[in-house]
Formats: sequence, structure tokens, C-alpha cells
Amino acid sequence: MTTAFQIPIEDYICISPLIFLFIGSLIPLTLKVLRGNREPNPSVTLCLALLGVVAALAVSCSLFPKMTPYYAFSNALVFDGISVLSAILVCIVTAVAAVTARENGATTGPQFTEFLFLLLNSAVGMLLVAWSNDLIVTFIAIEIMSLCLYLLIALSHEELLSKEAAFKYFVLGSFASAVFLYGIAFVYGLAGSTYINIVAQYTATLAHQNSLFLVALVLTLIGFCFKVAIVPFHAWAPDVYEGAPTPVTGFMATGVKIVVFVAFLRFIHLDFLLSDKSGHLLPVVEWLAVLTMTVGNIAAIMQSSLKRMLAYSSVAHSGYVMIGLIAAGLGEHARGGNEAVMYYVLAYTIMTLGAFGILTLFEKSEKDISQIDDIRGLSRRNPWAAVMLAVFLMSLAGIPPTIGFFAKFFVFKAAITQGLYWLAVWGAINAVIAAYYYLRPIVYMFMRDEDGVVVADRYNLTWVVTAIMALLTVGLGIATQPLYEAVKLAARSLL
Amino acid sequence: MLLSIITFLPAVFALVVWGVASEKTAKKWTLAFTIVEFIASLLMFAHFKPGVAGLQLVEHRSWIPAIGVDYFLGVDGLSFWLILLTTLLTPLALVGAWTSVNKREKTFCLTVLFLESTMVGTFVAMNSILFYCFFEASLVPMYFMIGIWGGPRRIYATVKFFIYTMAGSIFMLLGIIALMLIYAKTHDGQISANITDFYKLHGQLPFVAGTFLNTQTLLFFAFSLAFAIKVPVFPFHTWLPDAHVEAPTPGSVILAGVLLKMGTYGFLRFSIPIFPEAAEHWAWVFFLIGAFGIIYGALVAMVQPDMKKLVAYSSVSHMGYVMIGLFAMNPQGIMGALYQMLNHGVSTGALFLLVGMIYERTHSREIKDYGGLASIAPLFTIAFLIVTMSSIAVPMTNGFVGEFLILLGTFEANRFVAAFSVLGVILGASYMLWMVKKIFFGKPKGVVVEKHEHGLDLLPREIAILVPLVILIFWMGLFPNTFLRYSEASVENLVQHHGQYEVQAPKVLAPHLRVAAREGVR
Repeated sequence: MTTAFQIPIEDYICISPLIFLFIGSLIPLTLKVLRGNREPNPSVTLCLALLGVVAALAVSCSLFPKMTPYYAFSNALVFDGISVLSAILVCIVTAVAAVTARENGATTGPQFTEFLFLLLNSAVGMLLVAWSNDLIVTFIAIEIMSLCLYLLIALSHEELLSKEAAFKYFVLGSFASAVFLYGIAFVYGLAGSTYINIVAQYTATLAHQNSLFLVALVLTLIGFCFKVAIVPFHAWAPDVYEGAPTPVTGFMATGVKIVVFVAFLRFIHLDFLLSDKSGHLLPVVEWLAVLTMTVGNIAAIMQSSLKRMLAYSSVAHSGYVMIGLIAAGLGEHARGGNEAVMYYVLAYTIMTLGAFGILTLFEKSEKDISQIDDIRGLSRRNPWAAVMLAVFLMSLAGIPPTIGFFAKFFVFKAAITQGLYWLAVWGAINAVIAAYYYLRPIVYMFMRDEDGVVVADRYNLTWVVTAIMALLTVGLGIATQPLYEAVKLAARSLL
Repeated sequence: MLLSIITFLPAVFALVVWGVASEKTAKKWTLAFTIVEFIASLLMFAHFKPGVAGLQLVEHRSWIPAIGVDYFLGVDGLSFWLILLTTLLTPLALVGAWTSVNKREKTFCLTVLFLESTMVGTFVAMNSILFYCFFEASLVPMYFMIGIWGGPRRIYATVKFFIYTMAGSIFMLLGIIALMLIYAKTHDGQISANITDFYKLHGQLPFVAGTFLNTQTLLFFAFSLAFAIKVPVFPFHTWLPDAHVEAPTPGSVILAGVLLKMGTYGFLRFSIPIFPEAAEHWAWVFFLIGAFGIIYGALVAMVQPDMKKLVAYSSVSHMGYVMIGLFAMNPQGIMGALYQMLNHGVSTGALFLLVGMIYERTHSREIKDYGGLASIAPLFTIAFLIVTMSSIAVPMTNGFVGEFLILLGTFEANRFVAAFSVLGVILGASYMLWMVKKIFFGKPKGVVVEKHEHGLDLLPREIAILVPLVILIFWMGLFPNTFLRYSEASVENLVQHHGQYEVQAPKVLAPHLRVAAREGVR
């Protein structure tokens, strides 16, 4: 007798955002093929792709109240609050990237259709990363996401840096993926499963009895750390962030981090930090967090290119999320940890999208990379651009009452709740170091008498998007209660 | 409602100025608005009862109930006068900037108004996170004020100011979080960041005398570091001379007049009452650096060739008095400290205004460039002399009352510190009088001769802003009780209940607390 292999309809409903994104990616491409490979009007392409993204966003939002974890596709995917929250965030990030790419010299024009196809498929990969309950699915999803990203970077009309960046990212990324896969192989060999919820049941015994499990954990951790640019696995980040077209940089810096940190969060809930033997990893991950913050911040101080500075600052922010992750990994009272991670990632997404959005405004052609000298006196030429960039930088520095302040607040609170005092102190010290380089562009824009060359361009859509981000940065900071409640609701449903 | 209005009125006005005023009219609008704000703050007299120790004019609403952060405003004897000082000094500082600030005037006005909002907010916030938000947010407008309208080294000065202050306050944030969690642990998981709730933690913060690594000592120093940098107390003072010298006149006035008080106010609101044992045990540290700061500030002021720098260092010296007064922890000491905060705001604010006025005419702040100004600018000389007398604490001026009370209190607490600190009075007189002698007396020389024909004496506008300050100097010197009686009850309460201090607030519960209370009854 054969049992019919049936998939319940609920599973399809759950992955419908993904389906919408995928369809959205196909329509423009099909259109182009039907037109005999002639590039359609970019605005039309954009609208069609956005249709898919908005549909995905709408479905994700409607799924949000559904909070009990639901395992779909024979446990390969899990749908809980965090899945839905990250799906919403990824959709927003994708929409912003698509809109800003339409107006950026490095991405618009010929091959914009292909660009959108890759962008949306990268988003498909991202959703899978965030939803995956199976380490193998996580691996495949990360590959889908990354392969699209390599191409997105290489597709840039800028010839030199982008190709180097894409190749560098590809080589190092593949290497890290291999390490990650090796780690998963060990996990499977020891636990007999790659499902996170099943491995979690064996963690305590495995960690106690088998030293190989430690190897498995370390290898998998390295894979995650590489993807979110944790020092010392961050070396690719500045080059890639700088070489990629700015809309893609914004997309990578936020989207990839959201979903990989969510996957990381699920992984750390294997609770290996709690067991006596693999608990030895605790000081290691703590040091990783400290190093990430410190190296990221100190390197950011020395940068003269704004994009590179933001790249290093993004590395430093990974360190802060790492503090939240460690707090979450320490179990029981971990509620604060999950929320801290999710809130931080969310806040970081809004601020970073805004900051890269402003950088996009500065670029007149694909070859432009704004140096910090170029924005001298910007407040006289483009007061609004200057004010918005200042808002984003202040928020990244954690000045109240912006969203960035509350993000730091929740991370520190989670750390102190778990007794990670010295991590909190390192976080505080780094906030001060970071303030120095976040203030520097503000000094250049507002306080220098000389004039630089940069003028913010009339990219209407980008202006709208960045203005929305600026409003959210301040508005959600002052009215942080509903946002925090939503994040808390989402985080509570985690395993 | 009144406190909310006083706090956010300037911010609302800023939006109005931004929308309505042109570059030319911005200052006039702003002046009118800051005067309206001052009048609004005077309305507090109608509702504030002088003899009450607890909080008054309380507003309590929930803001972020999930983490116990309430929108909780209140005023008591400790903060009452500081609010009025803020709202008084802002319009005066603005008039002081009337001609000296002449680029991007509208932006300047917005900065002043936002700054006023954050300063008032700092003094009325009774929730620690709300306090922190205002405390940090006040950095931003000040940062722009020094950075855009300051002197040649303004960027160095303003970045140093920002980073230094933030370095202190970020550890205070960690301290606040720790206190919130301790409160939650000892109160059935009910989280709260209200300062009045932190006061209830006495006995819950383990303290071991003499060692450093215990909860109360660590938290005490986490808070104290933030405030010590803001005051600034001796080893943390290096940002102050830079910031003062580079800041435009209104920036200096507000910085010296109000921003420094946030530090001493923080000691009074947080460090001393929340950590009573630690404050008592470690008082010697603050005696030491306070007294040292008095002498050090005075000695360094003596050798300054630059008027503004001299006044800046005199601030370090004067704030040293406030510190030793606070840590004497008896009614006279704290009362004197509180009074000295106001004195310093009035007299140093006036000094910076005067220095700004003369600088505007001669474009020199070097003392050696001056001489014999008294014969050319008599009104200016009179004003300067009166303010100098107040600054060096001559009897009948406000400075005398403050320093006398502080030394009285300190003498009771620790004779050596008092004896040592009293030297500062002599040194203070010597550097101030030395400066007065060089600038005003002797034969006219230097810039005084060169710029003679431009007319160096005060204009009616300048007289108008100096008169209220001079009146205050004498009023506060001759009838201190007018002012002291508003603060007395709160200070008595603070001193007498040291160790079990609590501040009563009228029962205005935030909505979520009301629910909690109802559930508790059930």
C-alpha cells in the first residue's frame, strides 16, 4: 500500500509570500522575453515586480496574528511570529531596494529586468532562510540568496570594483558555505537529524558525551558568523559593500542580516551554550561579539569613504546583535534576548536603509563613491538630505529618542538580565567610540565652511523612501511601545 | 498639564518659527516665544506650594509600559528654581546673540528653542529613562550650536564635548537598566524606571564598605561618573574650557548657566538619595576632588590670558563648591549647593554675556589688549564690577549666601575640607580683581584706544538684559529666603530621611499601573 504524499493546504498558505515574490520576479522577465529580449520601460518592470512584493507583504501582514508555531512541509519549515516578522521586513527591504535601484546609475537601464528577477529571487532565498527548521534547507536557502547576490553585485554598470567585489564575495562565500555544510554533516552524523527542533532534544547528551559535537557546532557557527560579518570573518564585508551598487549594498546589509540572524537565533536555541561542555563556547562567542564591535568601530573611524564607513559600522552593529544572541542563548529568561535581537535587527534595518538611501542620492553616475570630504557644507546645498543623514547617523550612534537608542537599550537590558555585565560594558564603550565617527559626517555637513562637490539628486522615489525611513527612525523611537509589543509577540513564539 | 506645556512649548515654537519666520525675523519671533515660555514657567508659582517636600504638578501617563517607562513629570524644591533659571537665561542669551550670531540665524533660533525644551525636560522628568532621553538629547542642539556658530577651533571643542559627555552618560544608562531589573526582582517582576520607585530600593542594593565590587558602589559610580563629567568635577573638566572658549556667547551662557547644573542636579536626584550608603562612604572622594577642583580651577584661572577662558576656569572652581556642599549632606550644605547652582547660573551667565559684548566691539578677548576701559565705558564697568562682586561672593550679593552656606555645611561635615576650600574664596577674589584691574583701570591702551570712536559702552538692548540679572544678584543676596523657602522642605526631607528617602507624589497613576493596582486588589 502506498501512502499518498499529501501536503496540507495550510502549508501553501504559509509560503504564499514566497510564491508571490517568485511570480513577481517572473512576470517582468517573461514580458521581456515576449518582447523579443527588448528591455521594457523600467517603470513598468518596477511596478510589476513591486506588485509581487506588495502582495507578499500583504499576505505576511495578514499572517502576523498567527502566532503558534506551525511546522510545514514535513517539518522542514517553521512558521511562527519571528518567521512572519522577518518576512515582513524582507519584503520591505526588497521593495526599498527595487525602488532605489530604479533610479541608481549602476542598476537601472538595460538589464533592469534581470536585476529585479535576481533581487526578488534573492528575497525568496531570504524568506526560506528565516523560515527554515532544517539545517539543510537553511544551507540551500542561503545559497539561493547568495548566488543571486553575487550576480546582483556583478550586474552593476560600474566595471571595476563591482566585479572584484562579486568575485571576492563568491569565493569567500563558497568557502564559508562549505564549512557550514561540513558542520551540518557532523550534526547529522551525531544527532541523526538536521531538524533543529529534533537536534535540540539531543543537545544536552551529545554535548556531554561527544567532543565531535563541539566540532559540529564550531563549524556551523563559523558559517553563520561569515554571513553576518562577525570579526574575524568580516574581511569580505567592506570590499563587497563598497563595490556593490548602493541599492544592493542596502539590500545586502539589511536583508541578509535579518534572515541570517533569525536562523542564528533558531540555531542558538539548541541551547548548547547552557550545557556544561559546549558551554565552553560561551567565552568564545562573547569575545567574538566584543571583537566585532571594537574592530568594526575602530576600522570605521579610519575610513574616508562614506560607504566603507557604513560597511564597518554595519560590522560593529553585528556585534551588538551578537550580544542579544548570546543573551538569548542562555536560556530560560531568554525572552529578553529574542526580543532584543529582533528589535535591534528591525531598528538597524530602518536606519541602514535610510543611510544607504541618502548615499544613493549622492551618486550621479555609477562610478561615484562619496568620500567624506565631498559632503562638506551639504547643509547649505541640500538641507533636507543633510538633516536626514544626520538623523540616521544619530540613530546609529544611539542618541535618544531615536529607534537606535531603544535598540541598544533592549540589547543592554537583555545582557544585564543574563548577568553578562562585561559584555554590556563593552557595548557601552563601543557606543562612545562609534559616536566619534558618526559625528564626523555631521561635522562635515553642517560645520565646515568649505564646500564639497556632492549634491543630492532629484531622485523622487528615493527621496520618498528615505524620508519615510527618517520619519520611522524618529517616530518609532518616540512611539516605541506598539513596535516593541509586536516584536515581543513575535519573539515569544520562538521554540 | 503645566509641566508638559513648559517642556514642549519651545519645541512647538521651534516648529512655528521654522514655518513662519524668515531669516530676518527669526530672532524676533524666537525672543517673543522665549519670553512667553518664561511667563508660562512663572505660572508655576500659582500652583507650587513652598512648604511641601514631595512632588508637585505631577503628570503621570504611560509611555512604554512594557519596560516600565512612564511619561512622569514632577517638580519639587530641588528642581523648581532650576526650571526658572533655564527659562530666564534662554531669552537673555538670545538677546546676547542679537548681533554676534549673524549667519544662519533661523537655524540658530531652532537650535536655541530645542535646547530649551530638552533642558527643561531634564529638570522635570521623574522617570529615569525619560530623564536620560532629555539629558542626552540636550547634547545634540548644543553640539550644533558650538559646531556651527563657534570660534576657530569649534569642531574640536564640540566633538570633545559630545564624546566626553556621552562617555559618561552611557554608563549611567547601564546603571539605570540595572536598577530597573533590581526593582523588578524585588517587586514581583513589576518593572519600573520611575525615580520615585528607585528611591524605594533602599536596603535592596547590597553595599560593602571599602570594597569596590559591590552592587551599590558600582551603580553609584556609574551614575556619578556621568554627572561628574557634566558638572565638571576636576579630573573630568578638560572639555569645559575648550567648549566655553569656542562656543558663541549664547552657547557659553546656556552651557555655564544651565547645562552644568544638570550634573549637580543629577547628583542630588540620583547619586545621593538612591545610593545612600555608598554616597556617605565615598563622600571623601568628592570632597577631595571638589576641594581640589576649587583650588585648581582658581589657580589655573589666575594665569589665563583670555577672558573667556578665565571665566571658564572660574566655573570649574565654583562648581567645586557645589560638589563639596552636596556631599556635606547636611541641610546647610545642600541648601548652599542648590543656591550656588542658581548663583553660578546668574553670575557666570552674566559674565559670559559681558565678555561677549566687549568682544563684539573689540574682537579681542586677550586681557593684555585692554586697559583703562572704565573711563570710556562707565556703564559697562559698573555692570562688570557688580557681577564680579557676585562671582567672588562679596556680602550682599548672591554669591556670598551660597558660599557661606556651603562652607558652613562643609565645616560641620569635615573641617579640613572646609578650611582648604575657603582658600578658593581668596584666590577667586585675586584672579577676578586682577582681571578687573587690568581691563578697566590704568591708562587706556590697546584695543580700548583703537576702537574708542566706535563707542564701547552698553547699548539699551544690552542694559535691558543685564538689569534683570543685576536685580537678581542683589535680591538673592539680600533676601535669600524668598528663594530658599521654596526648596527648604525638599532639602530637609532629603537630609533627614537619608537612607530611607522617599519622594511622595500625589496618587496619579499611569493607566497600566491602575490596572495592576486593581488586579492586586482582586
